Amino acid sequence: MGDARAGKLTIGDSVIETPNLFPVVNFYGGGTENSVYGGGIHRTVKEFMIGADRIGGDDAYAKFFDAVMTSVSSLTDYNVSKERYADYVYEPIKEREVFSPFNGVIFLDSGGFKFLNNESLDGSDFQEDIDQAKVFEIQKRMGGDIIVNLDHPITPSDTHEERLEKARKTGKNIEIFLDLSDEYTGARYLTLHGYNYSMMDAFLTEITDYVSAEKLRSSFDGIALGSLVPMKDNRSALIDAVIDCHEVLHDWGFDKLPLHVLGISSRAVPLLVALGVDTFDSSTYLQNAINGGYFLSLMETVNVNEANFDECDCPVCSSQHMRRWMRGNAPYKKDMLGPVAMHNLIIQKREIEEVRQRVKSGDSSSLVEYIEGTVAQDKPTRESAHRVVNHSLGGYFQ
Amino acid sequence: MKKAPKVNEVNEFLEIASDFEDPLEVIRESLSNSYDANASNIEIEIKSREMGSDIIIDDDGDGMDLRDLESFFDLGNSRKTDSIGYKGHGTKIFYKSDEIVVNTVHDGTNLRAVMSDPWKKLNNRVLPEYEVTETPVSNLHKGTRIRIHNFRSGQGFDPESLTYNKIEHYLKWKTIAGSTAHMFEDDQHEMDITVRLGDEIDDSYPEVETKNRLEFPNEQLEPDYSSDFPAERMCKHYGPTEVEADYDGGTTTLHITGMVGGKAARNELPTYGKHSAQFGVWLAKDHIKVERLNEAISHDNEFLHFFFVVNCQDIELSANRETIRNKSSPVFQALKEATEFHLSKVAQDPWFKEYLEIRREAEIKRRARNRRASLKLRRERVESGDSGEPSNRTEVLLTLARENENTLPGQISVEDYEPDSDVHAIARQNGKLRNAAVHCSLTNHFNEELTFEEVDLIICWDHGDPVVLREYERQGYLGEDIEIDLEENGLLYGDENPTYVEILPLSHHIEPMSPRAVADD
Repeated sequence: MGDARAGKLTIGDSVIETPNLFPVVNFYGGGTENSVYGGGIHRTVKEFMIGADRIGGDDAYAKFFDAVMTSVSSLTDYNVSKERYADYVYEPIKEREVFSPFNGVIFLDSGGFKFLNNESLDGSDFQEDIDQAKVFEIQKRMGGDIIVNLDHPITPSDTHEERLEKARKTGKNIEIFLDLSDEYTGARYLTLHGYNYSMMDAFLTEITDYVSAEKLRSSFDGIALGSLVPMKDNRSALIDAVIDCHEVLHDWGFDKLPLHVLGISSRAVPLLVALGVDTFDSSTYLQNAINGGYFLSLMETVNVNEANFDECDCPVCSSQHMRRWMRGNAPYKKDMLGPVAMHNLIIQKREIEEVRQRVKSGDSSSLVEYIEGTVAQDKPTRESAHRVVNHSLGGYFQ
Repeated sequence: MKKAPKVNEVNEFLEIASDFEDPLEVIRESLSNSYDANASNIEIEIKSREMGSDIIIDDDGDGMDLRDLESFFDLGNSRKTDSIGYKGHGTKIFYKSDEIVVNTVHDGTNLRAVMSDPWKKLNNRVLPEYEVTETPVSNLHKGTRIRIHNFRSGQGFDPESLTYNKIEHYLKWKTIAGSTAHMFEDDQHEMDITVRLGDEIDDSYPEVETKNRLEFPNEQLEPDYSSDFPAERMCKHYGPTEVEADYDGGTTTLHITGMVGGKAARNELPTYGKHSAQFGVWLAKDHIKVERLNEAISHDNEFLHFFFVVNCQDIELSANRETIRNKSSPVFQALKEATEFHLSKVAQDPWFKEYLEIRREAEIKRRARNRRASLKLRRERVESGDSGEPSNRTEVLLTLARENENTLPGQISVEDYEPDSDVHAIARQNGKLRNAAVHCSLTNHFNEELTFEEVDLIICWDHGDPVVLREYERQGYLGEDIEIDLEENGLLYGDENPTYVEILPLSHHIEPMSPRAVADD
């Protein structure tokens, strides 16, 4: 339907529906097994994920974790000791007792963005140098279902020469990555960087010095478009990048592969779906909750203190226990905001479901209607919304 | 004791009649009344008279019964509920006259009503009365004829101000003749409108004929590249579109129709008043334009390209229909937002963007053509050896560089140039660095109030007005003495330890150029 597409992504024996949103989850937040490996608000989110007793032992939340995003670089976010780090990478996430109720798809990012200036994992008493081989080893140990090569993301201030240098470094890593992961059972995604057609084309031209285009096409199972985090608040630049990315992938013969856009604001989701993106990851649900933001919809947020839980029928807001927590009547602050994050995620997941159904219907006007009623109502994103409708969904005045 | 508030009826009539400032509003009210009476023809005749104008309005509508006639003369007693005239104010404009005669045929009865001296009586604080006589007629007759004698039209209907052209544009702009209803409703019946002006007002045409419909210029989606202005006649229609807008308390319906186009296309629209003041977005009631809402179009899309009519029956108008009264109501807010939203879609339409781009490119090419023409002149000037005087500091330095090798005493090269500082250039002469001020004329140094403390050398084209320099010598400069020796090209500045500054007037060293050989290109 236009450029938008709906489908299924099959990885091993997991199947997820697309388009889909992967919430960012921090599996290892400095704690131990007793605290679901900790991480403040992350801990509470994980308790929802596994249906822990603390949140009422409800397994109604598992379905919202059909696919999650996490990163190698987050292992040392909490300044852990060497011993604890060793425990974290000791066995795959899904093989741990505590995570056994969870069976979603894990997209395990290489953390290139974090390692850009400092190519090491720094703990409290150790430093682990990072290279492609090391990253792949960690990805394998943690059991990522979708993994990417170690990349060198670009920034808007990079010169052409700096971008080429980063592409060459990434190209070398891709060569090593494909070699090491040849037998890997999970899916492998190729990172693509650039803000417009020419930049992405130059990136691909550069990496094909290391790995031929044929080999890229036959080895990789998907494409992950990165480097867009600095574009978070520049909707128009984000759209340019995604439109051009489509064109580049088409011209290079990668357009059959699923496309993931790394690290976006969830408000852009309907527009990216319309432009033909299959999956995205976002930490918006968490970031907003940390600041007390409670989603009314994809577009509207209120402070949790002003939220009327009666107006929401999600499992979080339907639980008296969780309502008390959200009202501040909780053992820890993270417990007050954890349920808010979970509620936010449910709102996002419901919206993506809605978008998916509209794409499936095959009637582009139904997606246009959705965009008109949501993203286009918001003045800062209105122009971008119209642009996408014109570009990908047949326009308003044909 | 209960008391009812009183109304001073005479004052009310005076007030309402005076509220209509534009005599053309007589025409607007009449057209709407005739349309509501299902007329398919209406003829209006205006003749100039000593005290004002005689007006005859004749239609073939359903006519009026006694009750209708009453609301014609009554104030605030209209039988209409929603359309123009529901307040019962409109026809009161006729009271500004010496006589009103109405003949109307309805259901086989002719009613004739005569009101004498309404304006005089109102001004004498007397409520004018009218006499009605009833006569049967055959059912074949129908319609209404209104004759107004000596209507006080002020200057409005004078031969100087009223023309067929003005009438036609007024009809299309301000009355049901410019209605956009036909684009939305199938049941809008057609009405032929004829206006005749006395020859003493305008004898250029016998009459003007139109219909109760506004038509947009024909669409032309493609540019015309045979013209220097390829986008000028481009035109696209948008709509008709029906939009529902929710507000706190209900839902309102907007009927939006419009066009976007270049100047030539827009010139095909009727004009009333200032041409540029009619484009943009018009809010309308009864499909007749009332006020503009140009903030509905974002700044970067100039409203000039747009002509849109947004009709909403929930708009409330002032008595003279010139302004919207309920602008602070939730319904008006909803109307504004919905209009803005709709126009934002138009502004993002790829066709519109392409139209803007074609305009922009054509503008750039036109500018380039003009520049090419001036380039030709410049080259001719250079070839003739008359490059003219430098007109800025940079040109002075270019002249210096060009002439260095030929004519100047001692090679001077400019090593550093900062046009915004007091010392504009650092020059090297005979191996030594010198601080130089650079000017077209020496007098500019004084005009710009620059000091001499750090300056060794002034590079200029010429001295400028010697009288100005003499005055500075006479009166001093910035509180210090100054001596300027134009023969020796130097100046001394300062009372104690004066500073010596050398002057280099390039024009003194340069002979007019003879034409040089030019490579054939």
